[in-house]
Amino acid sequence: MINPMELTGKQILVAGATSETGQSIIDQLINLGARVVMTDNTEEKPVVLQKILDNKNAVFYAFDIYNNSEIEPNFKRITDKHGVFNGFVYCAGIGGVRPLAQTKYSFTSEMMNANLYSFVEMVRCITRKKSFSQGGSIVAISSVSSIKGLKSKTAYCASKAAIDASVRCMAAELSERKIRVNSILKGWVESDMKNEFIKSNMELNGDDDLRRQILGIIDSAEIANTVAFLLSDATKSITGTSLLLDGGYTL
Amino acid sequence: MVNPLDFTGKQILITGAAIGIGKETAVLLDKLGAKVILIDKNENGLKEITSCLESNGHHWFRHDLSDVDGILPKIKEIISICGALDGFVHCVGIRCRRPLSMITPVVLNEVISLNFGSFVELIRCITKKDHFNKGLSIVGISSVSSQIGSAGVTAYAASKAAMDGAVRCMAKELAPKSIRLNTVAPGQINTPAYADLLKINEGTEDATLSRQYLGLGEPIDVASVIAFLLSDSSRFITGSSIPVDGGFLSS
Repeated sequence: MINPMELTGKQILVAGATSETGQSIIDQLINLGARVVMTDNTEEKPVVLQKILDNKNAVFYAFDIYNNSEIEPNFKRITDKHGVFNGFVYCAGIGGVRPLAQTKYSFTSEMMNANLYSFVEMVRCITRKKSFSQGGSIVAISSVSSIKGLKSKTAYCASKAAIDASVRCMAAELSERKIRVNSILKGWVESDMKNEFIKSNMELNGDDDLRRQILGIIDSAEIANTVAFLLSDATKSITGTSLLLDGGYTL
Repeated sequence: MVNPLDFTGKQILITGAAIGIGKETAVLLDKLGAKVILIDKNENGLKEITSCLESNGHHWFRHDLSDVDGILPKIKEIISICGALDGFVHCVGIRCRRPLSMITPVVLNEVISLNFGSFVELIRCITKKDHFNKGLSIVGISSVSSQIGSAGVTAYAASKAAMDGAVRCMAKELAPKSIRLNTVAPGQINTPAYADLLKINEGTEDATLSRQYLGLGEPIDVASVIAFLLSDSSRFITGSSIPVDGGFLSS
């Protein structure tokens, strides 16, 4: 049987590896035959990731991924050592809930830095001609917050909308090299439920918000499948798109 | 290696299966282990495709779907012969390019009835008790025309927008039965229909291609996305429309 999502022979860089979503993505990419280079801003690795690193085709780099002056030298170190990449996944970033009255410049700035600036800087650095292959694919994890409004999420929603806008432009610009750029608009994910960010958001917006997601809570493995799909050659004609993965939330 | 697009034991109904995207979808799903049930009004085309499929146990039925009243008895016949369905792909449809002055009520009704009316009626009949298995996934072939206007495409665009609108509502209504519905929105794809368009344009490429910056898509690009939406890998995607447009909608 053929396997249209097979990633054998592809080398993928994943930023934000230690999050639960990151771990699920890496696990599935390796299951599909990819070689994975991962990075995050901590040396501490969850058990699942440590197991993958012990046994599999994977390597981990720790540096401050939200410090923009550190991205270029570290990416150079990575590409010097590992050569050409065929894919890049950005599942890093931060959340945060604050009423507008407390959404000061410093809060918005920190959000934009982690969710947008680091993403753009990483794409800039990884897509240097000798570092990224023709026909490569880039995937960013965005959120339904990009297209919906919720109380106290001004900074977060703006940062996710900014990612999607940057994706459309990068897709146009990089199409000359057949490099594809897309994002995934995720709804409520199981692993998010443990975060303080989500708990406080629930208090503000009520359970109704969760009930709008008619298919229930998303398992991070579902995100992994969609990421793998967008990285694979099965999506050769998809670029500049933000795919909804929201269990019906936005309907 | 895992194969997220393994359709072993699954039975998928495809309309408009004798040509273009429908044909390519049948060929791909066969390679992925599915049993396919093909509907088209072109009997010779159906016979030819069935003979090309790698495995046995597929079925085909000659039926003209512009006869909307004939759909219920035909579906009952199909289910009694083949058993319950796991997926349904609606590829049947007519292209219609003519100026507004020539879109008489008869023409409008012809386009909307085949592209949209048969789609809803097929879903109404397929989602009856005992006609489908748990996890049924339905995919309609919409178009970028659903979202972007171009001269002379009024009837066709309206029929595709109607599909997308209906899919959002049916996705909500049928979620309690664990049924998912989505559409794909292809841009210009290298099908016989596109070849016909080139003839009308006397060989000049369609103007939309200048904004479809990954170039002309291939039928397999659309079929791959249909397979993803039919599979359990997209378990949390419902009510959405996935562009397969080489960047057109985002540009």
